[in-house]
Order: sequence, then C-alpha cells, then structure tokens
Amino acid sequence: MAEIYKLIHPVKYFNDYLSRKIRPDGRAFHEQRNIKLNVNSIKAADASAVVKCGNTTVVCGIKLELATPKAEEPDVGFLVTNVELPPLCSSKYRPGPPTDSAQVTSTLVADIIANSKCIDLKDLSIVHDKLAWVLYCDMVCIDNDGSLVDACIMTLMASLKTLTLPKVTYDPETEEISVDTSVRTKLNVNGLPVATSFALYKHEQSNIVLADPSSYEEEMCGGIGANLITCYNNGILCGSQKFGGCNLSIECEEEALKIAKERAQAVEEVVDVCIKNYELEINK
Amino acid sequence: MPLDYRRFNGPEDSVSYKRFTKGYLKSYDELYKESLDDKGVRKDGRALSEARSLFARTDMVSQAKGSSYVELRKTKVVCSVFDPREIPHQNEFSQLGQIFCEVKFAPFSCPRRRRPHVPDAEEKALSVALRKALEPTVCRHMFPNYQVDVFIYILENDGSCLSAAINAAGLALADAAVPMYDVITSCTVAIVGEKMFVDPTEAEENLATISPSTPINHGIITLSMLSELKQISDFTQVGSMDVECVVKAMDILDKECARLVPLMQKVLVANVLKCFETRKRLEEEANEKEQLLNAKMDEWKKLLKFT
Amino acid sequence: MAGLLLSQSEKLFIVHGVQDDYRSDGRSNLDYRPMELETDLVDTATGSARLRLANTDLLVAVKTEIDVPSPDKPDLGKIEFNVDCSANATPQFEGRGGDQLAVGIANLMQAAYQSSQAFNLKQLCIFEGKQCWKLFVDILILECGGNLCDAVSLAVKAALFNTRIPCVKAILMDGGDVDLQLSDDPFDNKLLDVGTAPLLVTLCKIGDKCVVDPSAEEESCSVVSLIVGITGTPSCYSDQENLAEVGGKFSTIDMNGPGSVAPKTLKDAINQGIVAAKLLDKALAKALINERKENIRTKKSSYGFLK
Repeated sequence: MAEIYKLIHPVKYFNDYLSRKIRPDGRAFHEQRNIKLNVNSIKAADASAVVKCGNTTVVCGIKLELATPKAEEPDVGFLVTNVELPPLCSSKYRPGPPTDSAQVTSTLVADIIANSKCIDLKDLSIVHDKLAWVLYCDMVCIDNDGSLVDACIMTLMASLKTLTLPKVTYDPETEEISVDTSVRTKLNVNGLPVATSFALYKHEQSNIVLADPSSYEEEMCGGIGANLITCYNNGILCGSQKFGGCNLSIECEEEALKIAKERAQAVEEVVDVCIKNYELEINK
Repeated sequence: MPLDYRRFNGPEDSVSYKRFTKGYLKSYDELYKESLDDKGVRKDGRALSEARSLFARTDMVSQAKGSSYVELRKTKVVCSVFDPREIPHQNEFSQLGQIFCEVKFAPFSCPRRRRPHVPDAEEKALSVALRKALEPTVCRHMFPNYQVDVFIYILENDGSCLSAAINAAGLALADAAVPMYDVITSCTVAIVGEKMFVDPTEAEENLATISPSTPINHGIITLSMLSELKQISDFTQVGSMDVECVVKAMDILDKECARLVPLMQKVLVANVLKCFETRKRLEEEANEKEQLLNAKMDEWKKLLKFT
Repeated sequence: MAGLLLSQSEKLFIVHGVQDDYRSDGRSNLDYRPMELETDLVDTATGSARLRLANTDLLVAVKTEIDVPSPDKPDLGKIEFNVDCSANATPQFEGRGGDQLAVGIANLMQAAYQSSQAFNLKQLCIFEGKQCWKLFVDILILECGGNLCDAVSLAVKAALFNTRIPCVKAILMDGGDVDLQLSDDPFDNKLLDVGTAPLLVTLCKIGDKCVVDPSAEEESCSVVSLIVGITGTPSCYSDQENLAEVGGKFSTIDMNGPGSVAPKTLKDAINQGIVAAKLLDKALAKALINERKENIRTKKSSYGFLK
C-alpha cells in the first residue's frame, strides 16, 4: 500500500513523514547511518579501503607510480584523485564517459583534499627536479545511495593513512632507479578531513536539515547530489558548498555545522580504530 | 592518446615503481618453480585440481534490480542487473530480447599495471564473451524488443575473472527474476605442459600465456555450462595445445562446473528464504499496527456512544 | 544476409543433406568453395594479399614500423590486427554497423597469433629491450559473403608470407641508445617465418553435425558456430626436408552465435576442424609457393583489380 502511495503522491508521501518528525527510512532528522570500514582488502592496490555508509558503498584503491615532476614545480609530487560512477551503482548512469555529476563529484573531492592541506605534496618528491611519486587514487562507487562525497572522502583518507611508500634510490650519474620494497615509510597525513552531506527541505514555512541523506531524499530535495556539503579537518572548517535545494537560513547553517563537527569526531574515531586494528593484525 | 578532459590526469610519463624493483623480469623457469613446487603443490597451497573456495552472495547493490558479489580468494567481482528497458536506437522490432553486457576493471584491480579508465581491448573482449555465455541461458523470447543490462565490475583480478564474472552474472540475473533455462556456472583452467591448473590465479594465467621455448602445450580455457541441460554456452581458448589436451581439459571443466551448481543453488535459495522472512516480518508488523488502530477506534466509538 | 528467407521445408532439406554428408551444392561437410588468391598487389605495403572466397572479398596489407618492445617482454616484437568493414561490403555495415564484427575478428586474430608456437615474435626483435619491429596487419573487407573468419586468416597468412622485412643492424651506443643502420641494397631483406601461422576454421553446427565454409542458406539454419584457430605445418612452406612435424595445435577456440552445444558435439567439431585446417593449410602452401616461383621467373601481370 505504502509503495503505491509513494508512487502516486511522491511529495505528499514525503511530507507526511516529515510532519511526524521522522524520515521515510525511520531515522530522525539528524540521525546518520551506520558506517562500516575495512582497510587493505584489495591486495593488488598499494593501499585500499572499503566504506559502507548505510547502503552507499565506495571502494578506494591507490596505485603508486614514479614520474619526473613538472618543470615549474620541481619539488612537488602528484596526487591524482578520481571518482568513478560506473553504471552498476545506480540506474541513473549509463556506460560511457563520466557524466556531469561524476565530474562534479570528482572535482569536489579533489578540492576538499587540496583545501584541507592534509597531504603536503612536497612529501611526495624524491629527487629534486628528477623524480617524484604519483599517487593515483581511484574511488569507485559500487552502490550509490546518497551522501556520496562523505563516503569518498572517508575511503580516500583511510587508504592514504595506510599507504606506505617503498624506498627509492636514484643514481644521479647513470640516472638509474632502484626500488626496495622491503623498506617502507608511512606517508605523512595531517589530520583527517571529514565531509558531511545534508539535504535541505522546505516544509510548511520551516526549513528542515536532513543529515546523511539517502539517494531518495536527495532526489526529493531537488538535487542530483546532496544540497550542502561541509568539511572539517582537525576541528577547523575547511570548506562548505551548497548546491540547489531550498534557501539556507542562518539557524539551519549553524545547526548543520554543529552536526558536521560532531560527526567529524565520530568518523575520525572510526577510522583510527579501524587502522589500529589492522596494524595490530599485521604486526601479530 | 587524446587527453581525457573529464577526469584528472597524472603526468604522461609516469611508470609503476614495480618496474624498478628487483626480480621484475623473471625467467620462465623461475616463474614455473614459483607457481608449482616439486611435490605438485601450488603457491597458495592448493593441489593442481583444487579450485579456490567460492564466496557468493546476492543482493549486493541496493539500487539495482538484482545484484551479486563473487569472490574467489583475491578475485572480487560485483555484478548488477537492471530492469529491462526498450532497446535504444533501433528501428526494427526484435523478436528476442537482448542482453547488454559491460565488464569493467577497477583502475587498481591488476597487480601488474594500472588499468586505463577508458575501456580497453581486453574489457571489450570479456564483455562479448560474457554476452555469448548468457545469451543461450536467458529465455530471451519472454521479453521481445527489450534489453537487460548486465554490468560487471572487477574490483580485484587474481585470475579466472571471466569465470567469476559469468558466475556473478548468473546469480544477479536470477536475483533480478529474469527467466532462465538453467543455472549457469563457469570455470577456467590454465595449462602448462602436462599440468592443468584448475581455477588459476593471475600468476598462473600469466605463466600459461607466456610461450615456453619447448613446443609443449600451454594456454587458458574457460568454459561455461548449463549443467542440468548438458549444454556448453561458451567456450574460449587461447594459447597452443593439441586435441587430447583440449578434450582432457573439457572433462575437468565439465566436472568443475557441475560441482558449482549446488553452491549456486544454495545461495539462491538462501536469498529467496530471506525475502520470505522479511515479507513475513513486515506483514506481522502491519497486522500489529492495524490491530492497535482498531482497538483505538473501538475505544473512540465507545466514548461516542456514552456522550 | 538481407532478404534471405527460407521455408521450414527448405531448412529441413539442408539439415538432412548435412546429416548425410552431402550438401546442396554438392560439397561434403569438410569441403571449401573455390578461392582466388593473389599476393603482392600493394606497392606501399611491405606485404599484401587479396582473397576471394565465393562472394567474400578481402584485401590484407602488412605495414612495418620500428617500435620499443614492452618492458615485460623485451625480446619480442609486436603484431597488431586492424579490421575495417567497408560500407560497400553489405548494407548492414553502413555507419558504425560493422564495428562490432570488426573488433570481434581483430580480437580473434590477436588471440590466434598470441602464442609463439603460432607465430614467433622473436623474429621481429632488432635489439633486445630497445628496438623491435611492429607489424600492422590491416584487413579491409570489400565484400561480405559469409565465412569471414576463415577468409581473413587465409589472407593474413598469405600477406605475412609475402612480407619482406629490411635487414637492420643495431649497435648499442653510449648512454644506452641504439643506433640503427639500414642496408643500402633494397633487396637485402628477409622473409618472415610464417609456417606455423594459424588458420581459422569456422564450423557451423547444423542439426547434430558441423560443416565448414557454410553458404548463406546454411548459415540461416544454424544458431551456433565454433571457430577454431589451428597452427600451420611449417614443412609445407619450406624446401627443407628435415623439419620436425609440428603444428596442428589449437591456438584459439571460440564460440559464436546465440546458441549452445553439447560437449560431445563440441569434441567432434574440434576434431573435424583439425582435419579441415590441415587440408586448407596444405592447399594454401602450394598456392603460395607456386606464386612465389612464378614471381621470381617473370614479373607476371596480375589480374587483380588494383593494377
């Protein structure tokens, strides 16, 4: 019965739920979905992580490569992040080149990582003007059920935190490179940026902020993705973006920022515990 | 290669660091010794004829009509199937439904190199092979002029990825309630000389594709079967081998495919049972709520009568 | 084929004929239709051949380029196949219609030539790890009259037989670069060793039996065909007496079409394929050697359409 009602009166169905202060999937407005995280499950990649926020599943894998740095920035390595939205993750996507929304997500993730300054690209340099690391980080969405950027940032950070760089020796005379994989150093990661998505909905004169929206809620709130994405690193706000949806009042913004800050701490804990457990396991 | 403006690109001349490690280039004999020791035990401890343990589950992707996940130790494959849709860009009516398959490797899926984002020849060949394997399996006359999309994403490739993809697609199609004639299963064998590596890993596949200096049999065979109907739906072989070898490998694969059938059935039955349970639970909950409502109604009615 | 309509009884007639090993045009199940073959027609290519099999018409040209070998196979050259379906061939190839078929044939050829027992890529090496030859085999389909794979493989083998690679001396210079010296004499070149190059044989399943080289009418009676790539016999292509009897091995097996086959039929078919391929290879060798002898004696006037 409910399914039919949902199809015939989609807006009324959604409103009925919201007026009773509950979301269609049974959550409260500010409640977030469960997070499951697993690191280094893909052995073919140099570092990897899988995250599940509710149904949204994102896998991140990092491949290490070597290249000569750019002439204008001889001391800087490369961090190449891409978000893949293959057609299997949702019926909205078709095979072919990345859609506009995939490109927007990719740019957003790259911006967040750059703005939060969690990775110093100078750490990726090996020999001045000759050799630098290239980190190819690909985030693949397996199941897109909303709040994609949150999950992407989380897997990316978890993989970067477990990434180790092998030792490289470079002979300046013969230009010969040799890599010793038995000696590895950890990559320096400064803090842990956490993104939090919100959907904004105008319901009977009042604005409602829905934390961690599902793809159905995102759709109802008029956006292709989430309406508001904020990012915290080390308790400092390092980015906030708004896409479509209804107007954002100052009260709502404050409310959202408060939730985001709390969530940042919770996620940080999750990632730290997961990595600690993993490290205990490999040291055993 | 034209630059892909829709993605972030790294520097053009970047190469994997693995090329500079010791032992990047190994001789054929070294590779052979690594894969198989003198006692006939493989690197991961399996006997030659022993397949890896298979983990499979359905209902993996919440947004898809049917989906599955298949894991053969390190090989990890996700598959999702969507609702049939009208065949796009077609003028003629097609009597039989069509199956559209796309196989994609994750950029980080292969141990040797980074995969490009744009589909390469291997991915296209795998997509075609998958379509050919599924076509005889699905009752295509039941959805004329419609197409079913089957998407495969290979998260990690440690050999036998076509077999894993076919097994995953079979499960996902069943999960999506697409009518099929039989359970489809598939298995791969890598051949080096007299040795047959059942369900090979990536290293063993690599060994079987390298041409040895002596004229011995080598190559890879993948077979997919409808075991109940005793029909081969797809057969692909590369390498170089004689008739006896092909026939012997076929017998091994035939048995291996039949062995997988009960496993697949178990996964599917578990899926159906789970569906029944959730439905029952939901119905019970609905009944409870209705009874509560009815009780309240009775109360109100009584109140009405008194006033 | 466009507009080919057969009634039920006509189809039955063909099926019964195949059952009795006597086909409607008088051939047995293993007979090919007559072919026309010509080599050395394109001056700008290093090797070329044109083949006409019934209504199928193809032109194959081989081009050579110097390339850097791939880092994991430093001592091997490269070969690449490219198929182009001309829109003149059949109305279905208009626009992008032939793309899928073209990619399919190119992949099949690539798989068939992969093993060194099928085609030895070591002969294309110039300097190990630094320089090698890369062969571009361009296949142009001019007219499509069925049985494309077989015709393509025959024409490619003929074109490779006709290919002459200039002799190049490579000297390692300081700093790891290689200096190449090309001889001034244009006749100072070497022939490729193509004795083992594979031929593809398509076996079309009609009823319970398989036929080679099906006509369009026969193709419409069949839902599945099997393509086998079988390596050639080098003794047929060389005057040397004491060559070991190698060849006759499978370098690729693939299934085509939406149907499936029983394991027994498949085994019978691959045995049949080997017999057909051996006969075909002998006939091709004879024709090619004759053609080469004639060419040496007198520069004969070719009766192809390109000169």
